[in-house]
Amino acid sequence: MAGPSTSGGVLESLSNDLAGAVERAGQSVVAINARRRIPASGVHWRPGIIVAAHHTIQREEEITVSLADGSTVAATLAGRDPTTDLAVLKADQAKVPVASFADGSGVRVGALVLALGRPGSAVTASLGVISTVGGEWRTWHGGNIDRFVRLDISIYDGFSGGPLVDASGRVLGLNTSGLSRGAALAIPVATVNRVVDQLVKSGRVARGYLGLGMQAVRLPTALAERLSLPNDIGLMVVSAEPGGPGDRAGILIGDVLVAVGDTAVADPGELLGFLGGDQIGKTVTTRIIRAGE
Amino acid sequence: MITEPLARELDELASLLRLSTVEVHTHGTGAGSGIIWNDKGLIVTNAHVARTERATVVLSDGRAFDGVVSAHDPRRDLATIAIQPAGIALPAATIGHPTDLRTGDVVLALGHPLGIAGALAFGVVHAIETRRGAPRWIRADIRLAPGNSGGPLADARGRVVGVNTLIAGGLGVAVPTTTVLRFLADVEARRAKSGNRAA
Repeated sequence: MAGPSTSGGVLESLSNDLAGAVERAGQSVVAINARRRIPASGVHWRPGIIVAAHHTIQREEEITVSLADGSTVAATLAGRDPTTDLAVLKADQAKVPVASFADGSGVRVGALVLALGRPGSAVTASLGVISTVGGEWRTWHGGNIDRFVRLDISIYDGFSGGPLVDASGRVLGLNTSGLSRGAALAIPVATVNRVVDQLVKSGRVARGYLGLGMQAVRLPTALAERLSLPNDIGLMVVSAEPGGPGDRAGILIGDVLVAVGDTAVADPGELLGFLGGDQIGKTVTTRIIRAGE
Repeated sequence: MITEPLARELDELASLLRLSTVEVHTHGTGAGSGIIWNDKGLIVTNAHVARTERATVVLSDGRAFDGVVSAHDPRRDLATIAIQPAGIALPAATIGHPTDLRTGDVVLALGHPLGIAGALAFGVVHAIETRRGAPRWIRADIRLAPGNSGGPLADARGRVVGVNTLIAGGLGVAVPTTTVLRFLADVEARRAKSGNRAA
């Protein structure tokens, strides 16, 4: 019978490439001890700065980070941004290499990718492809993400907070299962950099704030037509923080918000998206319906 | 284009692994898989596949043999079945080196998932769990199903590195062939001790 393939095959080259990519990129993948059961994954993004998925960091005190060199060092939470599901930790004693990044052109549908993690002492890997690449999008918590990157890859323990890497081991993004029910998504490098800058600087991602609680309500069609509204859904104010920006502007409970600035809003997510960091301290004009007018 | 040689190689490796992979039938349970370990008729499978004293072993060409479950180790979840190939040299698997496997390496599985004969699965090594420096479990990012149990997990050259044993958290979990070799050596040692040298 024929022996096994020893022709120095393509499959063996692929295998070596993938294992090499895991070995190189795995140097900057860390385990974060900040929750029960199993550690979460993170990436040594910049010297002393570790990025993780916000939803995996369940403890804010006594956090340690286990590194590829076998050492475990103390880390502090620099800040978190639940809207993009990102958290940043500082670990000055981390002496492992930082990640090397691919330029954004590698983010293409069909690209062969590895999701790495470290839910313990050893690095883990799974193989898949990028299944969708879209434009800028807003998460259900109102965070802005530069590109929509969906993966066809299996989600195992340690997936969230680990890097998405190409076949050369360069980082394309940070993986999370926390932004879309059941689906594996990657947060692009550009988005992570933006959030890291803000969290390192101020410990939070500053956002515009109205001090109002709102709920989507359907408006009578006749009313929507009479007031020439773009759609028949508005946001009814159900709470107003006393002395908050909305309260000071005279907004009352029961008012229905239909637009901020020139933007029509039909769900709280659209409003959150409008209230980015660029709106802080600015005065916004809102269009509201009160008593049918 | 590397897709064409890649597809050709996968086809060759699947055919090769199919030759040395058998179906194992026992009374009352569905079919599992097994690996032809040598040309004299030694089949390696999982203990949970070969629960009875006898088992029917079906080769990839359809020939069926009555086998005797000759060793059974529930702790390692390994068993051997002896068949009498009556003069024909069986196409034995080539055994690889699990100690050389790295996370990310390509792995292939062959078996009979849910009764589908000779099905190939493709994946990568997710993690290798070690104990005292030796591989204890190979966890693979590969899609397996009941019926893969007892069948081979092979490296990119088609060398068998593990026996697919269970699915845990979506991962295929295989017993490394280093453990199989220890199991076979233990069986041999016990036989020698009891003075029975028959294979």
